[in-house]
Amino acid sequence: MKEKLEQIKVSALRSLENIDSLPALEELRLGLMGKKGELTQILKGMGALKPEERPAAGQMVNQARQAIEDMLSTARKRITRKEQDARLAAEALDVTMPGARRAVGHRHPMSIVLGELADMFLGMGYEIAEGPDVETDYYNFEALNIPANHPAKDEQDTFYAEGGLVLRTQTSSVQIRTMERKKPPIKIIAPGTVYRSDQVDATHSPVFHQLEGLVVDHNITMGDLKGALELFASELFGGDIKTRFRPHHFPFTEPSAEMDVSCFSCGGKGCRVCKESGWIELLGCGMVHPRVLEMGGIDPVEYSGFAFGIGLDRIAMQRFGISDMRLLFENDVRFLRQF
Amino acid sequence: MDVPVSWLKSLVNYNADTRRFIEDITLTGTKVESVKTFGADLSGIVTGRILTVEKHGNSDRLLICKVDVGDGVVQIVTGAGNVYAGAVVPIVLNNGTISGGQRIKTGKLRGELSEGMMCSIEELGYSRQEYPESPEDGIYIFSKEDSAKYPPGSDAREALGLLDEAIEFEITSNRPDCYSVLGIAREAAATYNLPFDLPEITVKEEAESDIHSMISVSIENPELCPRYIARVVKDVKIGPSPLWMRRRLIASGLRPINNIVDITNYVMLEYGQPMHAFDIDNIAERRIIVRNARENETFTTLDGAARRLDPSMLVIADPQKAVAIAGVMGGENSKVTEGASAVLFESANFNGTNIRLTSKKLGLRTDASSKYEKGLDPSLAYDAVNRAVSLVEELGCGKVVKGMEDCYPYPYENWTISFYPSRINALLGTDIPPDEMRGYLARVGVRAWRADEGDQYWFAEIPTFRQDIMREADIAEEVARLYGYGRIKSTISSGSPTMGKKTRKQNLEDLLKNLMSAEGFDEAMTYSFESPKVFDKLRINPNDRLRDTVKILNPLGEDYSIMRTSTVNSMLTSLSTNYGRRNKLVRLYEMAKVYWPRGVGEFPEEMDTLTLGAYGEMDFYALKGVIERILDALGVAAEYESVRDLGYLHPGRAAEFIAGEASAGILGEVHPDIAAEYEINERAYYAVLFLKPLFEQAVLARYYKPLPKYPGVQRDIAMKVKDDVPVRAIETAIREEAGAILEAVELFDVYKGSQIEAGYKSVAYSISFRRDDRTLTDEEVSEVMKRIISNLETKAGAQLRDR
Repeated sequence: MKEKLEQIKVSALRSLENIDSLPALEELRLGLMGKKGELTQILKGMGALKPEERPAAGQMVNQARQAIEDMLSTARKRITRKEQDARLAAEALDVTMPGARRAVGHRHPMSIVLGELADMFLGMGYEIAEGPDVETDYYNFEALNIPANHPAKDEQDTFYAEGGLVLRTQTSSVQIRTMERKKPPIKIIAPGTVYRSDQVDATHSPVFHQLEGLVVDHNITMGDLKGALELFASELFGGDIKTRFRPHHFPFTEPSAEMDVSCFSCGGKGCRVCKESGWIELLGCGMVHPRVLEMGGIDPVEYSGFAFGIGLDRIAMQRFGISDMRLLFENDVRFLRQF
Repeated sequence: MDVPVSWLKSLVNYNADTRRFIEDITLTGTKVESVKTFGADLSGIVTGRILTVEKHGNSDRLLICKVDVGDGVVQIVTGAGNVYAGAVVPIVLNNGTISGGQRIKTGKLRGELSEGMMCSIEELGYSRQEYPESPEDGIYIFSKEDSAKYPPGSDAREALGLLDEAIEFEITSNRPDCYSVLGIAREAAATYNLPFDLPEITVKEEAESDIHSMISVSIENPELCPRYIARVVKDVKIGPSPLWMRRRLIASGLRPINNIVDITNYVMLEYGQPMHAFDIDNIAERRIIVRNARENETFTTLDGAARRLDPSMLVIADPQKAVAIAGVMGGENSKVTEGASAVLFESANFNGTNIRLTSKKLGLRTDASSKYEKGLDPSLAYDAVNRAVSLVEELGCGKVVKGMEDCYPYPYENWTISFYPSRINALLGTDIPPDEMRGYLARVGVRAWRADEGDQYWFAEIPTFRQDIMREADIAEEVARLYGYGRIKSTISSGSPTMGKKTRKQNLEDLLKNLMSAEGFDEAMTYSFESPKVFDKLRINPNDRLRDTVKILNPLGEDYSIMRTSTVNSMLTSLSTNYGRRNKLVRLYEMAKVYWPRGVGEFPEEMDTLTLGAYGEMDFYALKGVIERILDALGVAAEYESVRDLGYLHPGRAAEFIAGEASAGILGEVHPDIAAEYEINERAYYAVLFLKPLFEQAVLARYYKPLPKYPGVQRDIAMKVKDDVPVRAIETAIREEAGAILEAVELFDVYKGSQIEAGYKSVAYSISFRRDDRTLTDEEVSEVMKRIISNLETKAGAQLRDR
């Protein structure tokens, strides 16, 4: 019996060498250990042995069985691994093919710029105020120290609506509304749509966007105005940007200024973009005119403040290198998806 | 406002070059727009004295000249007949350039060497209009004086007055005094702290007569004409004005006409005071009356146009007729012509607003009106008229009559305001000593002094030309700009702490924009106004309230003449643009306002909307899914009702959604007729959400609900119902009977087709049950299911299908 068992083991080992699929392996297993398998037959033949021979024989058979099962298991692992290797090899992908993307939407460039600016000012402690597009003459002009027949009204090419209303020409209209609503300290920005009757071309649009800022408190100085706007400019354009303030005129601020930033195209040497001046006009600003504070119900002796207005469209166009303002309103998705 | 640099420098002797100067004066508040350089295309052009003129051997026409050009003698062949030995002419040498940058080279003309070219005035870029002394056809020949002044080899551009620059300034509306060369000169002097004095004017008054015996002036409306001055010049000799005056006019952007006109223009440039000259013989009774025009009065202006006037306009008239529209333009009936025995110079002050309105109404904007409309200082008129007649004497083109007729009923005077230097420093954040402030103010003609020894406040006397200085803040600006804005130290305000935050509305808007991005929608931006024609185009009901709009009284055109009451047109227009450009898969959204009028004199309601538009791989339910996602994000529940009569939407594929009691929006497929109107040849989709009711109901707070401990039970049922039974009826019937153990109801299949008889559909639901305190028994679920099924049969007419 011993020889027989040994012979079965050897022949099983030999067979295993040639087996490389799981069905063939199973066939081999059944041939050995199935109902009619060789090993099973031997076990069945044990009954014929003498009782004193049985334990030793049993042990022998079990050892052989264990050995064969180990062999089978090793072979199974080998075959499984091999089959998996083959499958993985077959599944290899061309990783240079493009990824499958789910479409996500894109924000409008104007909205991106507005969001960035709003975040900067929020970080500086400003709230965001709002006002209507359709305004009264009072909020848009009169309370801002622009009386009837003031040439500024013509300069701004106002759209008039029925009932003495105007389409606001500037977000400055929110100044008075804010002062009426709350007392100092006031620290707001007011982004919004404004309207002037400019014919549509590459750099003009009758509908455009501004961001107004207003700060009113005790002891606000022109130095504070400069500090706040310089901080804003360096946030917006990076720390290397240079700024300058030059006197200007707005009816609702006194002293008034415009802030220029060094030309991002030439760095200040002078080029076509900056009309050889080295500077690009960024915003208008100034100390709130005492008359405007009075109109807002704030005592100009006790309080002072500064205000500024930023043209958002131009910043968006500069930021993204957009050369034609009309693109902003066409909504061609090939344009919108670039941002 | 263009100012020639040479003119400016004759008044203020600053050292800076032009580039430096424009930077410096910009920083004190007079902004430079551009700089024009004259004669930039001309090079290598010198004055040359012709030594000999000989005939060309091979030509009848050509002449050979030897010319002294300073550092030698060159030979030049010319075809011009007006040259002669001794004449001094402009010579462009080998490799020099003439007008337009054309380069001239040495060459041979019919075998004879020609080392350059003699120039006509046209070859230098001008014409006989500017240089009337030049011959009609031929080489420009310098006058005896110029020939003496510029020896051979001098730069001919300089001899012709061409070496100049003009600076274009942007003048702000508060500084009408800067619309003049003298005004700019004053600012230049202030910038560099240089002395500046107005030119002294002396008038010799050589004519015998006295003006008061010749002319009288009366002003009927002193509000519109605060001042009117007339002076008279006799023995007028019309002719060209001298080159220096012509050059200054040209460099300032004006064309020389004749000496009298040129003088009025010159003084207008110099002082900013427009002037007008009348032929005195055309003024009836020699009486000037400044009055309002009469209703329907017609008047022919100098340009030959007949104009209809109205009583809001001011005219200069004699007792019989108008002779000028005040401050705008003179009339044909009184213009100065050759042979006029005497000329009246008008130097007047008119109300700026009135001139602006008149000019606008007539559609006639002139150099004069554009100066007047800024609002001029009446004091100017006096100096300006004297300057004009003194120039008449200087140019020798007439004799000035003694005296002036100065009608000035309410003379303007300098005014005094008080200011606290300490408050100015507090406003600016500076520490400028009061005496230093006084220095800055003196530079701009404002005299300042301390009220009294030891007093904290000061007085400032404001000259009439600075009508913009009214209060302390204005003084602060004058001080600040001359101190230098750049020198004010930047600080971060130490004021009360404030919290930067967005409002709830702004946060919700951000939430929705982020959600739209996640849903694959690109953000659009459109105009808020549109054409009233869109309502017919969109088949909006004739009495729909959408047609009640805010109308713009002065629109850019009909297409922009109403504020939109709906976003349908703007969204469809954007979709159409994309479709026309063959963009295949388009999803757009816009967060924008619509404007609904609320009644006369009231603000319109500005309603915030979120508008969605799409075509390509989109259908009604996909769009509805987006809407549902938005409402979920806001925590708002809505009911959807079919709407069939919207005109612009598919009657069977449109719904209104209602949140609480309020309409929260509309969604649907665009009606094929409307899509075709917008040239979109596939199914397009539109939705609008009204943000106000949605935001009012929005619930953003979220609370944790414990995860289930006990297993749930799921039962699927399929039923057959009539086609027109909405699934909502089925779901309602399920919920009515499901009781407290219901966890979820989910529609998972709707089927119409061969398995189901016509007019019916199969609807399948998955219903989940769960208790959170114990495991459900099969019996209790079956009991509930039985009730549900029976309810479905009665309420929805459902027949259960075997599965």
